[in-house]
Amino acid sequence: MALPSLPYIVITVLWFALIAYAVFGGADFGAGIWEILVSGPTAKEQHALIDDALGPVWEVNHVWLVFLVVGLFSGFPGAFATLVAVLFFPLTLALIGTVLRGSAFIFRTHGLRKSATIWNRIFSFSSVITPFFLGAGAAAVASGGIQDLGPKTQANLGSLWLTPFCLTIGVLSLALCATMAAIFLTVEATNQKKADLVIIFRRRGLIAGAVTAVLGAVGLAEAAFQAPTLWQGMLAHAVPLVIATMVIGVGAAVALYFGYYRIARALIIAETAFMLGSWGVSQIPYIIPPKLTVDAAASSPSTQLLLIIGIAIGMIIILPSILLLFYIFKYKGGMGLLSKGATGGTIL
Amino acid sequence: MPHLLAARAQMGTSLAFHIIFSVLGVGLPLLLCIAEGIALKRKDPVWMTLARRWSKAAAIIFAIGAVSGTIVEFELGLLWPTYINYTGQIIGPLFAFEGFAFFLEAIFFAIYLYGWNRLKPFYHWLCSFPIVLGGAASTWFIVTTNAWMNTPTGFIFTNGKLTGIDTVSAIFNPSTPYETVHMLLACYVACGFGVAALYAFSMLRGKRDTYRRYGLLLGLGMAVIATPLQIASGDFNARYLASKQPAKLAAMEGVFTTGTNVPLHIGGFPIYDTQTGKGTFYYAIAIPDGLSLMVGYDPNTQIKGLNEFAPQDRPNPLPIHLAFDGMVGSGFFILGIAGLFWLLYFLRKRHFPEHRLLLLGILLAGPLSFLSVELGWMVTEEGRQPWVIYGLLRTSQAVTTAPFLNYSFLTFSAIYIVLAVTMIMLLLRQGRKPLPEMKWEAVSSGNDESADVSAEQEEQVGV
Repeated sequence: MALPSLPYIVITVLWFALIAYAVFGGADFGAGIWEILVSGPTAKEQHALIDDALGPVWEVNHVWLVFLVVGLFSGFPGAFATLVAVLFFPLTLALIGTVLRGSAFIFRTHGLRKSATIWNRIFSFSSVITPFFLGAGAAAVASGGIQDLGPKTQANLGSLWLTPFCLTIGVLSLALCATMAAIFLTVEATNQKKADLVIIFRRRGLIAGAVTAVLGAVGLAEAAFQAPTLWQGMLAHAVPLVIATMVIGVGAAVALYFGYYRIARALIIAETAFMLGSWGVSQIPYIIPPKLTVDAAASSPSTQLLLIIGIAIGMIIILPSILLLFYIFKYKGGMGLLSKGATGGTIL
Repeated sequence: MPHLLAARAQMGTSLAFHIIFSVLGVGLPLLLCIAEGIALKRKDPVWMTLARRWSKAAAIIFAIGAVSGTIVEFELGLLWPTYINYTGQIIGPLFAFEGFAFFLEAIFFAIYLYGWNRLKPFYHWLCSFPIVLGGAASTWFIVTTNAWMNTPTGFIFTNGKLTGIDTVSAIFNPSTPYETVHMLLACYVACGFGVAALYAFSMLRGKRDTYRRYGLLLGLGMAVIATPLQIASGDFNARYLASKQPAKLAAMEGVFTTGTNVPLHIGGFPIYDTQTGKGTFYYAIAIPDGLSLMVGYDPNTQIKGLNEFAPQDRPNPLPIHLAFDGMVGSGFFILGIAGLFWLLYFLRKRHFPEHRLLLLGILLAGPLSFLSVELGWMVTEEGRQPWVIYGLLRTSQAVTTAPFLNYSFLTFSAIYIVLAVTMIMLLLRQGRKPLPEMKWEAVSSGNDESADVSAEQEEQVGV
């Protein structure tokens, strides 16, 4: 077996960064989505749980997005220039969402009690628009509609990124973020020994998970018609990954139902990784199907080599640091991997 | 608004906003590190309270800096896709390295801010070091990219194609050492004066206690070391510009035609027509032979004027000269203030000088130091026009074809205004909170007592 070429090493690293952003950043957006539904006698506690969960980690989770952007434009400048030109509008909207989400979160957690409700609303609203437009933009790439290449390509006003397939994937992103957040929050609530909150988020996780599964099936069916290159690629080399995604999804739901929240959390992370992995593998050899391949979009070999060396050194420093952060705030003194949290209540 | 102008206005607004937060994000961690270090060494609750309260302000500032930095990162592509296409190919990996430096900063900032009661005091203090390092490293990476835009190297451009790309030589382009040092020092100067100005303000309002005195000493301590270094670095920059970026120097100093015995113009308005090459310098104080002496230590040193460049390659000297003089003027003023303060402090055997005029001067030095950061950035950006990558890509060729840029500019401007106003309100509210009871047990990090402090105390100390 031949060694992978430099561009494939870079795109693989970037794909893992995408998975990291989808899992960690996605769960943070999901928590914002649940903010919309916060009400009832435990409203204050739900706010506090979300604040505690996001506080120490959301900025670090956000940096994955920054890394993705810079990695893409140094590794694949041609592809990046095309994407920002064609998807100018969905990306601008997602950017506005990202900015408002971060600011609203910091404003509401650091006081401003009088105007906190406004910032709460902005926080949840922006948590909805960002994953939606990022998902729709990703679907526009996957559907193979971007045929004109280069930085001078006209911005698309919606015919590429507001198709039924893109809308389904946009909403799927929201549902997936919401599912992840609900499952993460069952672990957080169990760690804080708040059984009533555990039960609330378990129920939400199961419902959002079911919605995600349905949308996933719809999206897959639509792909056959609206994303032909992707569909062919999937049939050719990603069928096992797609089946694994489905099996893991069922596993996550079972673990969540029976209260094994740490296991459910691990499985929903794997679920997201396999879902994005299936997309990536189905697209091979294209970075922007159906015309631009990974090799054709890559920057010069010397640039790629330098990038890979830099990434290797960077990861050696960054990954243990991230583990330390998560150990201190998410793991230390928390529930065990095989322990069972509170369950009960009606689901529907 | 014309298309190009709208794109430049949006980019300019974003950078003008973001640069304040980058400067604070690089400088404040050093202040935190010093304050907490002194506190631990002396077991002094006042110094520890300073570190704690500043860490809470830093949490807000750092978050806004992270999101405004994301805007800039996206806008480089959204507004200037052709620019990012070239930049990505030649010097792109630097942005990725900056990503890692930013990661390091963000991770340890999170541990530092949220870990006050979870880590032992010494380990907590250690966490401030990667933040300081990460901040300095990201400054170096980002400013190196800007240096490359001024003096691009590491590629061959023939018939519209880039060949022979050598990222390492692009990184070590001639401007890198001058620009990176100047920007890094600017961060420490501005943060030092910024912090000192806040305490000068509250002392002017009659709150003259140990806490505020320490805060002022801390800010001016950093400033008095960084400012003279900064002025020396500026002097190196000027001489360097004469050889490598002559168009920029000519615009900064309003030199219209090449010559020897070039005077140094202080202030005034260089009104210049870039098309005809004719101009007049109004109301300036001219120091005979000044510029020639500065650049070559000899009045016969030749200085290149704007006439050396084709009309379409000439920057307009008026805004550049004004921004440059504003920066240098502010620089000398703040140096004078810091020098005077420390002179009086040591002359009076470490008795704190609290003269009203001196405090007013310090109060003024805070905003002036940030103003000079903005002006210096404008000098280097405006002085490179009409190029975005000097000699390779014109700003007008780099801009996106996307429509509705006017609305995009308006939207982002509105966001910046809301963010700025809300954040200032929030920081003022924090600053007005009464000081906590400054007992070592209550403010020191990592011990069990501090985990049990009341919610109110916690709010004041900043956890």
